[in-house]
Amino acid sequence: MCLKFYGELLEAQNQPVHSSVSWAAERHLLSALMWTPEIRHVASRKYAGQWREITGPAPVKMSKRRSAALTGAQGISLAQKLLRERLCHQKLPDQPVGLDSQYKHLLELLRRTAVHGESNSVLIVGPRGSGKTMLLGCVLRELMSLKEAQKNVLLVELNGLLQTDDKIALKEITRQLHLENVVGDKVFGSFAENLAFLLEALKKGDKSSSRPVLFVLDEFDLFAHHKNQTLLYNLLDVSQSAQTPVAVLGLTCRLDVLELLEKRVKSRFSHRQIHLFSSLSFAQYLDVVRAQLSLPPDFPDPKFSDEWNHSVTKLCEDKTVEEILRRNFNGSKDFRSLHSLLFLAVSRVSVSHSTLREADLIEAWRLISVDSKANVLHGLSILELCLIIAMKHLNDTYDGEPFNFQMVHNEFKKFIQRKSHSIHKFEKPVVMKAFEHLLQLELVRPVDSGVCKVQREYQLMRLMLEHGQVMEALQRYPQCPTDVKQWALSAFG
Amino acid sequence: MSRYITRLRMRRTYKWNGRPVGEDRKLKRQYYESMSISVEGKTEDATVSLGQYILIEGDDDDNPFVAQLLKLYTDDSGKKKTAVLQWFVRMCEVPQSKRKLLGRDPHPQEIFFYQDRSCDNEVDGETILGAVQVGIYVPVQDPFPVGKSRDILFVKLLWDTKSFRALDPELMQPSQSPKSPPPSSRGPQPRALPTPDPSVMKRAMSGILTRGSMSTGKMSSSEAESLHSASKLSAAKALSAKRRSQAVSGPQVRKKLDLCTPATPRTPRHATPSIPSRTAPARKPGNVLEEARARLHVSSVPESLPCREQEFQDIYNFVESKVIDGTGGCMYISGVPGTGKTATVHEVIRSLQQSAEQDEIPHFRFIEINGMKMTDPHQAYVQILQKLTDQKATPDHAAALLEKRFSAPAPKKETVVLLVDELDLLWTRKQNVMYNLFDWPTRRNARLVVLTIANTMDLPERIMINRVASRLGLTRMSFQPYTFKQLQQIITSRLNRVKAFEEDALQLVSRKVAALSGDARRCLDICRRATEICEHSGSQKNSSGLVGMSHVMEALDEMFSSSYISAIRCASVQEQLFLRAVIAEFRRLGLEEATFQQVFVQHQALCRVEGLQPANVSEGLTVCQRLGSCRLLLLEGSRLDLFLRIRLNVSQDDVLYALKAD
Repeated sequence: MCLKFYGELLEAQNQPVHSSVSWAAERHLLSALMWTPEIRHVASRKYAGQWREITGPAPVKMSKRRSAALTGAQGISLAQKLLRERLCHQKLPDQPVGLDSQYKHLLELLRRTAVHGESNSVLIVGPRGSGKTMLLGCVLRELMSLKEAQKNVLLVELNGLLQTDDKIALKEITRQLHLENVVGDKVFGSFAENLAFLLEALKKGDKSSSRPVLFVLDEFDLFAHHKNQTLLYNLLDVSQSAQTPVAVLGLTCRLDVLELLEKRVKSRFSHRQIHLFSSLSFAQYLDVVRAQLSLPPDFPDPKFSDEWNHSVTKLCEDKTVEEILRRNFNGSKDFRSLHSLLFLAVSRVSVSHSTLREADLIEAWRLISVDSKANVLHGLSILELCLIIAMKHLNDTYDGEPFNFQMVHNEFKKFIQRKSHSIHKFEKPVVMKAFEHLLQLELVRPVDSGVCKVQREYQLMRLMLEHGQVMEALQRYPQCPTDVKQWALSAFG
Repeated sequence: MSRYITRLRMRRTYKWNGRPVGEDRKLKRQYYESMSISVEGKTEDATVSLGQYILIEGDDDDNPFVAQLLKLYTDDSGKKKTAVLQWFVRMCEVPQSKRKLLGRDPHPQEIFFYQDRSCDNEVDGETILGAVQVGIYVPVQDPFPVGKSRDILFVKLLWDTKSFRALDPELMQPSQSPKSPPPSSRGPQPRALPTPDPSVMKRAMSGILTRGSMSTGKMSSSEAESLHSASKLSAAKALSAKRRSQAVSGPQVRKKLDLCTPATPRTPRHATPSIPSRTAPARKPGNVLEEARARLHVSSVPESLPCREQEFQDIYNFVESKVIDGTGGCMYISGVPGTGKTATVHEVIRSLQQSAEQDEIPHFRFIEINGMKMTDPHQAYVQILQKLTDQKATPDHAAALLEKRFSAPAPKKETVVLLVDELDLLWTRKQNVMYNLFDWPTRRNARLVVLTIANTMDLPERIMINRVASRLGLTRMSFQPYTFKQLQQIITSRLNRVKAFEEDALQLVSRKVAALSGDARRCLDICRRATEICEHSGSQKNSSGLVGMSHVMEALDEMFSSSYISAIRCASVQEQLFLRAVIAEFRRLGLEEATFQQVFVQHQALCRVEGLQPANVSEGLTVCQRLGSCRLLLLEGSRLDLFLRIRLNVSQDDVLYALKAD
């Protein structure tokens, strides 16, 4: 299921979405789909490309004469391009923020593999969005700038979400290493032959003469679910024996990843873990925000960049903005959520207002923090809303026990008879139809008890809404009849 | 290709030509001069006669054994035909370890005069495949003639099981060369050489004999031969070969192999697996710490294995006695990971091979397979066969070939020592892989020693069915985890006078590891990490330059301390609140499990207490999922939304401890 989603996302990437409005709508839709964190994580990376298309026309080419002042529109599009690259993770930052010791450790480790031919294995562990891939990217960039490493190192990148079993992973490794059983893009031979071939290839090398291979295993924990953990065992075994020098780098967000390894695999792992936990304070966080939004000193139009940077500094001192950033900081410290917030704000900048204003950020925050079900509730009819209120009362009365349609209908009838003046009587089939619509929207879900088929009216259901969500929806509902509101507020139906 | 295959499909009949030329009354033997072999479906018979070079059926259908026919006789009943031979060996039949003694690459058509008194030179006459092949004697100093037909074999040297020697030129008089009939014509006329005296040999030896027609349906297909040369059986000769072609399964198996060799597009045939070599050689370690680090790497092979002397001796004695006696047996070795099981076995084999080199014990083959390095238990057969004979086959076919090899009597067969690592992965439902592995050594002529390694001591009792466990036998050995003294000794011996560690530091590491697992790999890794830490803090006050207690402590801390506490400390405010809410809800319910909805109510209440704006459901769910993806919480699938159940993956005390310290 995960993978299917992933594929759809990749497809979606190819269809440009043209306005930021429809993008926002789509975002709600997607967030309503209850992603697993893995998909969300991949999606946020994949959508980076799409965001680029949303935010306007292709940027104007940078003028050769630095001093020449750009027109307002050019300046803005250039600034947006720069910031987009930063915020969409298309460009690595110059230096990873707050990860100096980890950076040094990893660089030193990989340098030894590249230069001395020493085999190593290491796990980079940190929550999602903590900068694992970014750290690795920076380290590899630095490593490849070394003369000794540049021509010697072979890099193999695998992802647990793509290489879902050892067979695929082996083919991918062979392909990326350009071994001799690769013809074109195809790898020949059966699974068993491939494994034997790869092991033979790695076995033939030795410490001093063969090129070191860096294996990067993204989503390392997923590789541990492969049958017998054959791939991990073999890679780690090579890293612990006098064969081709390898460095096995695992990236994962699971803290308990070592417990997933079988004991003989675990014994072969060097137990080096690099943890990325951000211990950022809010003040530092604000500094990062400022740095992320500021234009670099080599921006072609100094006047524009001065103005922009000044406005950014002012923005960060604003009380409301600080409040928003603090809420975001309280929610999660990772930069990915910050980036998506800033991205929405930056994309609102246009010729009519050429600097970032606090209103932009507030609007962006509103878009991001809105509850995923609020919009769905917004589009319901009065009848459907009444049914939901009836369900809420049932939940209150019976302390969250499941209910069926008949109970809801009775509750609704009681309300109509006793209190309602504005709502006329609906026929039962009409109410049933409304109920089924709620079922389709998954605001109500059947309790799958697994018993034989029950009549529809009597099937047990659960309301998938929180008390607060219902009340919030009622507050926002345009022209909601007062008696319905009162009914919702009253303690008992 | 079809050359030798057809042979198996056709029945051959053997008949004496002419009358007996001599008789031994005492032994009741009648000697003959020649024999004709007729093949079903062929009109012409092939004739073999004394002095001729003949092909004898052997293990390898593609490279039958080569010999010179010296005598032909029958016993008094007249039924059993026996041939007395002078053997020649091909390079592929010389034991692998001895091949380098030649000092040069063998010529592809080279064969060696075989001199070994112990070798049985009488075979069943019906194993003769037919007429003739063979060879030109080439003097030692001369180069091999070029441009000759590929069917000619050359004799240059003599092989006496220990070394290659020049073939006595006195034995090789380049005299009368018998007529070489054109291929596909009838076999050469019998030459009357009834007595097997040396002079006869000499003359026959020196002759030029191009391949006679083996009218048993073979064609001169040198392509086929070269194709098959990749799959030679390098086994030593099974000299007293019984006719094994009688095995009915032979042709069928054969056919199967035929189908799979040329037809399916496999790995390109000449692909040689290798990683490209680097442009500049790797740098050598520069200072003491780097040197120490290189020595402490698990991969570096130590000069000796300390602390496993007893186990080493036991395994050594076991294998040595089996090799000397030429019998077979099984041994089961168990122990937790990192206790030196595989390393010890390798060490044993190394020293046994050394003594074999010095001819203290007979030669043997060592083959290693690893359950983790194959994709399927049945691949074990394929790998064994490939390592034994360089042959590729499907698992079923490989099993059949191995079965045949290990059950066939052959006095000159080398002992094979087979190491099966990670035995538990060879488990199949019917356990036939394990069964075969343990059954082969019990065969009378197998000469197979199987050493098996796995982690659990009671594996035989736990997963093996009775008939497998019984065949494994009771020769067991278990490697105990290293004690701290042993670990210390291991590090010291590895460092080998490179002074990089303080004594106390070493002791700390070894005690810590011994208390936890006794895994030597772990111990070495920690030491390695400690040298790195030392190097980085090297500029600071601790000027001794040695790895001290503080460095080791830091390394131990990195590797052993749980990361949960620091993860909780570094979590965001909402995440910490959520954890609090989870604990509060657990206390309220008195259970260790709650739904998201229940926790969320607590979470909102806590937010209000802390003076934060309460999060909405989406935000709450995001926070919950983030904690779940780190595995601080254990969650159900997210499609359950409000009703997904939450459990803690850390103890409540740890969470409270981590949150209190703030």
